[in-house]
Amino acid sequence: MDEKSTSTDTAPGAEKNPSAGERASRTEGAAGSWSSKPEVDGRGPTKAPSLGLRGTLLFLWRQLTSMQTALILLMLLAIAAVPGSLYPQRSVNPGLTDTFLEENGRWGEILDALGFFEVFSSPWFSAIYLLLFVSLIGCIVPRVGVHLRQLRARPPRTPSRLTRFTGHTRVELPGAERDELIESARRILHRSRYRTEVREERGGAVSVSAERGLLRETGNLLFHIALVAVLICIAGGNLTNYRGQITVIEGDGFSNSLTQYDSFSSGAWFDETDMPDFRFTLADFRATYVQPGESGKVGEPRSFEADIQVTTPGEEQESRTLQVNKPLHVKGASMFLLGNGYAPEITVRDSEGTVVAEGPLITVPMGDTGYTSQVVLKAPDARPEQLAVVGFFMPTGTIDDQGPRSLYPDALDPQLALTVYQGDLGLDSGIPSNAYEVDVSTLTQVGGEDGSPVLIRLYPGQEYTLADGTTVSFDGLRRYAAFDIAHNPFEIWTLISALTAVAGLVLSLFIPRRRVWVRVRPGADGAVLEVAGLARSDDPALEGDVRSLATTLSQAQDGGRAGTAAIPEDWPSRATDDSPEGSAL
Amino acid sequence: MINEQLAEFSNLALVVAIVLFVLALIGFGADLAGTSQRRSDERLAAKDRAEKGRADARELQAASVGADGAGAVGSDVSGADVPETDVTEISASDAAAVDVVAADAIPGDGTGSASGGMSAQRFAYLLAGAATALLTLGVVCRALATQRVPWANMYEFATTSAAVVMIAFLAFSLQRRELRGLGTFVVGPVLILLLLAQTVWIVPAAALTPSLQNSHWLYIHISVAIMATALSILGAVVASLQLLQAKHESGLAQKIAAGEEHPEHWGRFGHVMDRLPSSSVLESLSFRIHSIAFVTWTFTLIFGAIWARDAWGRFWGWDPKEVWTFIIWIIYAAYLHARATGGFRGSRAAGLALAGFVAVVFNYTIVNTVINGLHSYSGL
Repeated sequence: MDEKSTSTDTAPGAEKNPSAGERASRTEGAAGSWSSKPEVDGRGPTKAPSLGLRGTLLFLWRQLTSMQTALILLMLLAIAAVPGSLYPQRSVNPGLTDTFLEENGRWGEILDALGFFEVFSSPWFSAIYLLLFVSLIGCIVPRVGVHLRQLRARPPRTPSRLTRFTGHTRVELPGAERDELIESARRILHRSRYRTEVREERGGAVSVSAERGLLRETGNLLFHIALVAVLICIAGGNLTNYRGQITVIEGDGFSNSLTQYDSFSSGAWFDETDMPDFRFTLADFRATYVQPGESGKVGEPRSFEADIQVTTPGEEQESRTLQVNKPLHVKGASMFLLGNGYAPEITVRDSEGTVVAEGPLITVPMGDTGYTSQVVLKAPDARPEQLAVVGFFMPTGTIDDQGPRSLYPDALDPQLALTVYQGDLGLDSGIPSNAYEVDVSTLTQVGGEDGSPVLIRLYPGQEYTLADGTTVSFDGLRRYAAFDIAHNPFEIWTLISALTAVAGLVLSLFIPRRRVWVRVRPGADGAVLEVAGLARSDDPALEGDVRSLATTLSQAQDGGRAGTAAIPEDWPSRATDDSPEGSAL
Repeated sequence: MINEQLAEFSNLALVVAIVLFVLALIGFGADLAGTSQRRSDERLAAKDRAEKGRADARELQAASVGADGAGAVGSDVSGADVPETDVTEISASDAAAVDVVAADAIPGDGTGSASGGMSAQRFAYLLAGAATALLTLGVVCRALATQRVPWANMYEFATTSAAVVMIAFLAFSLQRRELRGLGTFVVGPVLILLLLAQTVWIVPAAALTPSLQNSHWLYIHISVAIMATALSILGAVVASLQLLQAKHESGLAQKIAAGEEHPEHWGRFGHVMDRLPSSSVLESLSFRIHSIAFVTWTFTLIFGAIWARDAWGRFWGWDPKEVWTFIIWIIYAAYLHARATGGFRGSRAAGLALAGFVAVVFNYTIVNTVINGLHSYSGL
C-alpha cells in the first residue's frame, strides 16, 4: 500500500517545478487507483445515481482498498490494541483477569461481555485486522500485475521539454559527435544499472531514456505479500500448535503423553498422535541467589539449572542441563524451564495410625523473594473423617507478628507451618477441584495435644501428634521444576516470512526509483547536450548524479576542454543538500 | 563479580557529562538567540540592500549561485526563507537578497568570528562532543564493572540510548554543519532523559537475572531496541521542528500575501526558525530517520520474538511490552503510508510520527513501571 506506481506515464508537462510535478503525478496516481472520495459526495442525496448491486459492491470494494481506508484501519488497529495491555488478558494471566472481575463487579462484567479481557481474539479486533488484510490484498494484487507489465516494458519516451526536471543541465559542445555522445551516455547509464532505450527524435535529435529502481516496487510488493504470509503462518500455528505445563520433582520422571500434563491446550487441527515420544527424569535442580554482602538485592535469583536425563526413541540416554533461555529441543517439541519451587516430603497418619499421605508435595510459591510457599495436602482416605493440611513452607523460615514467612529463597532453615482440618473435602461431588486449593470454611480444625487450635511448626525430621492421634511429619525436602512443552509447526515459516518482509521493506525504503534522460541535438557547430532526471521517490542524490553525468559527458567529449554549462533556470529556488561533486551515479 | 570502584567512576563520569550537557545546551541556546539578534539586524540591512537590488535581482541570484559553491548552507537557508507555496516575485528577490546575507553570516561559525574568538555554536558543539565522550566512557565503565552489556535495566537502557542519540547527532552534523543549529533540540531531550535516569531510574550495578542470562539475544534484541529508541527520539525532534517550521512558513506566507515586504512572524523565535532548514528539508530528513527507525523497530520485534520463543516457549504472547512495540510499529507504518498518500503528506504525517514517539515513551515508562508483564524485570 505504498504510492501507486503509475503506468508508463510520460512526465507531467505544465508544472511549476519538477518536485511539484512529481507530487501531482503521485496524487493523480493515488486518486486514480484507490479513488478516495466518491464523486457524488456533497451534491445532495437526490442526485446520487443508483449504483445497482454490482455497482455498490464495486464502490465498497474501491473504498475498502483505498489508501485512506488502509490508514484508518491501521490507526484503529493500534488503538484497539491498547486495552489489550491495560486490562489483564485471559490468554496472558487468567488469574489476574479473575481478580479484576471480582474487584470491579458490574463494570468488569460489561468489559468482559465486550471482550476487553480477550482483546486479541475479540470480534472487533479480528474484524479490524481482517479488513486490513483484505484491503491490503485488494491493493497489492492489481499492483503485482501492473508491476510485472512494467518490468517487461521499455523505459518511457523522453519528454520533449527537459527544462523542468531535476538537475536539468544544458551544455553546448562545439565539434561534438552526436552518436558518439549518445552512445557513451547509454554506456555510462547502463553500467550504473539503468535500463536504457535510445530513440531517434524529430529534428535530428537523439535521446537516451534511462530508468532505475524497479526493485523498489518489487520490495514493496514483497513486503506486503510476506506480511500476508506471516498472518497465514500465525493462523496455521494457532490451528496446529500445542502447549502444556508440567511440574517434575527431583528424582521423578516424565513421559510425553497427554495424561502427564498439569494443563494442556492445543489448536483445532492438533493431532495427539503427532506428539513426539520422549521421556526424561529430573536428576537435580539448582538455584543460586544473591547472598548478603554481594552486590544486588539479597535473595534475587542468579541462576536456575535443571539437570535432566532425556531418552528419545532410537537414541542413547542423554544428560542435558536446561536453563532459562536454554530450552531442550527434541524433534517435534521444545521444553522450556519456566518455574521452580519446593516439594517438602510430608507424611500424615490418621488417628487410626494408617498412612494417608506420604512423599514430596508440590508447594506453590506466593511470589515473595523469600519463596514462602503455600501447602495444601488433601487426605481423602483418612478415617474417621477426611483430613486437609494447609499452611506454609518456608525455605528460610521465621514466624513473627507478620505471620509465617520466609526471609531468603534458598533452603537454609526449611520449616513448615501447618494447620490440620477434618471434615468432608467435597472431592466426591464430581466437581473438578484444584489440587492446590481447599475450602476450609466447612471443615473443623483439629486441636493440638491439649485440644486447643494450633499452628504446627515443623523442622526436617520432626513429627507432631495432634489431640486425636493424627500425626504429621516433615521427612525431607526436594525441589521441583516447572516446564512448558510446546510445539508450533509453523514457527519456522513465520520467521522466514517475517525476514522476507524485512528484506522487502529495506528494498522499498532505500532503493531510489528514478528516470534520467540525455538528449543530444545538432547545434550550430557541433551538438547541444541536455541532461535531466525525475525522482519517483525520495531521492536527494538525484540532482548531484544528473549534474555529474553531464560533467562527465561533456568532459569526455572535448577531452578536458570544459564545456560551458548553462545555469539551470530553477537553480536558486531549489534547495539541495548534496553537493554535486563526488556523487556517483 | 561487580567492580565497585569502576561502577562508582561510571556514575561520576555520567554526572560530569550531565553538567557538560547543561553547558552545551546553554551554548546552543545562546547561539540561537545570538543568531536571531544578528539576523534581525541583518534583515534591516538586507531590507535596504534588497530595495536597491530589486532592479538587478538577477545579478543577485547569480551571486547566490556563486556563493552556493562555497557551501550547501547558503542554498539551504535560502530554502528556509522561501515558503514553498509562494513563488511571488517579491519573495524571490527577497530570498536572493537574504541568500547573500546568509552566505556572509553562516560561515561565521568558522571564519567569520575568527576575530571574536570561538562562536557560541562551536563552543557548544565541542562541549557536547566532550560530554558525549564522557557519557560513553561512563556507559563503557558500567559495562566493564558488571562484566556484561550495559542495558539490563531502565537506567542502563536510558544512558546507553542517550549516548547513541548524541553520537548519531554528532556524526550527522560533523559534515552537515547546518544541522548543528538543531543542537538545542537534541541536547535538550537527551538531558531530560539523563536527568530522569540519574534521579528516578538509577540502580546500583548488579549482575544479570537468570532471564537475561545465557542468551545472545540480550545483545542483539536490546541493542537494536536502543537504536530504534534513539532514532525515534531524533525523528521526533526533527518532526516537531518540521511542524513548527511549517506553521512559521505559512505565517510568513500569509503576511507576504497580505502585501508585507519584510514579514516578521513569531518575533525572535521566528528568527530562530528562519535559521533552521525549511520544513520540506526537515520533512525529508524526518522521513529518512523514520524509515530507518521503522526498519529497526521491525528488527526489534522479530529478534524479540525469537528470544521470547527461547525464553518463554512462544514467539508472541501479547505481553504488554509486545503489545506496545506492536502499536509503535503500526503507528510508524501508518506514518510511512500517510506520507505516500495525497492529503496526508507533510504536517498530518508528521503528527503520526509524533504519535509513534508518544507510544515509544509510553512503552518505555508506563509499561515498564506500572503495567505488570513479563518485561517487568527490566524495570528499575
